[in-house]
Amino acid sequence: MITSAHEQLRHDHDYLVKFLALGNSGVGKTSLLYQFTEGCFNSQFTSTVGIDFKEKRLVHRCSVTGREQGVHLQLWDTAGQEKFRSLTTAFYRNTMGFILVFDLTNEQSFLDIRSWMEQLRTHAYCESPDIILVGNKVDLTEQHVVSEARARDAAFKLGVPYMEASAATGFNVTACVLALVDAVLLRMNRVVDDTRLTLGKTVSPDDEVTSVCVC
Amino acid sequence: MHSVDSNNGKNFWKKSNKLVPGRAVYGAMHPPLAQPGKSKVSSPEKERSSSTGISRSSGQTSDSFRNYWESVNDAWECEDDEFTSLADGKISSHVSACAASQVIDRHRSGLLPPPLATKSTSAADSVSSGHQDSRQAPIVSTQKTRSVSDGSIYGPFNDGILDNRKHLPQPAGSAKSLRAGNATVSPTLSPAHLMLPSNHHQHNNLRERLTHDPDRERESGRLDRFEEVLYGSRSADVAELRKLSWSGIPPKLRADTWRALNGYLPANFERRQEALERKRKEYWNFVKQYYHTRHEDQHSDTFRQIHMDIPRMAPLISLLQQPVVQEMFERILFIWAIRHPASGYVQGINDLVIPFFVVFLSDVIPPGKAVDTYDVSLVSGSLCEGVEADSFWCLSRLLDGIQDNYTFAQPGIQTRVTQLRELVSRIDEGLHRHLERHGIDYLQFSFRWFNNVLMRELPLSCTVRLWDTLHAEQEGFSHFLLYVAAAFLRHFSPRLMQQQDFQGLMLLLQNLPTSNWTDSEISLVVAEAFKLKYMFADAPKHLLNQQQAQHYQAGGHK
Repeated sequence: MITSAHEQLRHDHDYLVKFLALGNSGVGKTSLLYQFTEGCFNSQFTSTVGIDFKEKRLVHRCSVTGREQGVHLQLWDTAGQEKFRSLTTAFYRNTMGFILVFDLTNEQSFLDIRSWMEQLRTHAYCESPDIILVGNKVDLTEQHVVSEARARDAAFKLGVPYMEASAATGFNVTACVLALVDAVLLRMNRVVDDTRLTLGKTVSPDDEVTSVCVC
Repeated sequence: MHSVDSNNGKNFWKKSNKLVPGRAVYGAMHPPLAQPGKSKVSSPEKERSSSTGISRSSGQTSDSFRNYWESVNDAWECEDDEFTSLADGKISSHVSACAASQVIDRHRSGLLPPPLATKSTSAADSVSSGHQDSRQAPIVSTQKTRSVSDGSIYGPFNDGILDNRKHLPQPAGSAKSLRAGNATVSPTLSPAHLMLPSNHHQHNNLRERLTHDPDRERESGRLDRFEEVLYGSRSADVAELRKLSWSGIPPKLRADTWRALNGYLPANFERRQEALERKRKEYWNFVKQYYHTRHEDQHSDTFRQIHMDIPRMAPLISLLQQPVVQEMFERILFIWAIRHPASGYVQGINDLVIPFFVVFLSDVIPPGKAVDTYDVSLVSGSLCEGVEADSFWCLSRLLDGIQDNYTFAQPGIQTRVTQLRELVSRIDEGLHRHLERHGIDYLQFSFRWFNNVLMRELPLSCTVRLWDTLHAEQEGFSHFLLYVAAAFLRHFSPRLMQQQDFQGLMLLLQNLPTSNWTDSEISLVVAEAFKLKYMFADAPKHLLNQQQAQHYQAGGHK
């Protein structure tokens, strides 16, 4: 029963969700998204120019309602250099969730989070869009210049969830994206008919975030 | 003729060209840069073909000409009194009137028509050279039957052999440029492509492309011609060099030709060495003067960005992974950036150094060596310094022409993207609608095309070939690139039409399958681009959208 439902969802997604990755140049946006969609690390990326597109389909179980929903994720990767901001901000409007990335080994990329947040508040669809702050390159422990406590504190003050990840090892990469998927779907479900496409399963609301990737 | 609707505000490609739409067909027999008024024939192919008695117009031309005519058919309006219908074709009323008066004159004076053989050559001459004088006009009418059976209008263009291999409509230049560009490359030859890795393409080496292949050059006979123009007289004829270069430059002479077309190498032969030395010295003075400031506050952001981008630039090309090469790139980009504060360094500009660097470097390494894997430390210091300085100056000159691509908010690119959208909606309405229907924004894929001069979309060897043409064109990297982009997109039109959803389209648009492209595909694309440029150069009606056009037509009848 569940399997066939999954099969069906594979072809017929319920939600089209658009994410955008942003953050300073060189923090690893492209590598994170590549790790998420392809499941491996590619060190041979050149700088992103303009905006790049990736996609992934998955079945997601909502952390609150336990509802399973097919999700078609459109992932937009942006160029980090400031010069491209007038281009990339044009794409903020249609974006539902933002993956804001900084590099744990690069102080400046962490300091610039504040200006990225300002950009988001100005150009996104609403004043408080769904965002996840990701500290990338957690595997390069020796080179860290931003401590976890400091990053958590900053995230708390900005009012956004924070996770550390490594595009190189794949650690936490999927979890970051799925946490954002969860937040976006919760927001969407608030305005969508409750009866739509529940799979008839009752799940306690405090279940953990569990998702099944079908791709 | 009607005037342009001043409200449409879209006459960006209207150039000062004095041609009217339709006349383009006369130019169709010219190599791309030939002006219709000139009768000078310079191509070795042409010389060869006329010496062997073969009509200049080839079978390919017959086919391509028909395609061309069909594709520009809508440029002529039915009520256009300048053209008269002739069977299934149209002919300029001027030409037909001349023909008629000549026939009458001839009958009156009792002269017989000249023999057929001389007729066909002279006809080709007359039309291809753009002469429409009345003495040669009768030939048009005597050759009419064949031309009509071919479905094209001007008989002397065709010798009746159709060539169906071509999958793109071709303008006149294409037959020549294809021949010249890639005559001896067999389909099985492994394409040397250095794709910049945004598309994750496999990398082969540049050996075949960038090194000297004497057979090919000798066969084409173009090398001599190039040498003659470049070095033969006291002063290089840049106009002639542009013409020659349009369809590809022999690798051996590419470095000097680029330097000359770029305006960096003086046309005057005697002044060249002196000028080069002076410019090189000037560059190295800049380095001495400014490079040490890279870690100072005002420049540190610029240098940090450059320093971050260079190591990850084209990671598959081992040449560019050598520390000594990366330092050269860093110096070039840093000096350029601080001398151009209005734009500064923008990601993508680093890519634009690569073709210059690779071409100039291949000029100083021993013949037959593969440039993409060559150990640069083997090159003598002074030669290296020359390569670096030349790359810097040529990059500077190139960027001078497209600087608004990289200033605040990148207005140059935004304009080109808008123009591309309009152009595609004109030339491939089906594709345009398909893209719009699925919510594709041209900005999403073509921004990078213009920001990086298509370098991320093409193997490096193809970029080098493309730059031959862009250097040969006036405003090649700005204006002409628009048409190249349109032709490039249109090339993939059938594939794109097969994609039935947004993600399929977007993934294809951002990863267009060009990894096995060779010079011949580039020749097709630039030929198509030339056709578009020519077609739209002075055809402002094409810029009206459908509704405007109808309105305008209705108004025209009143």
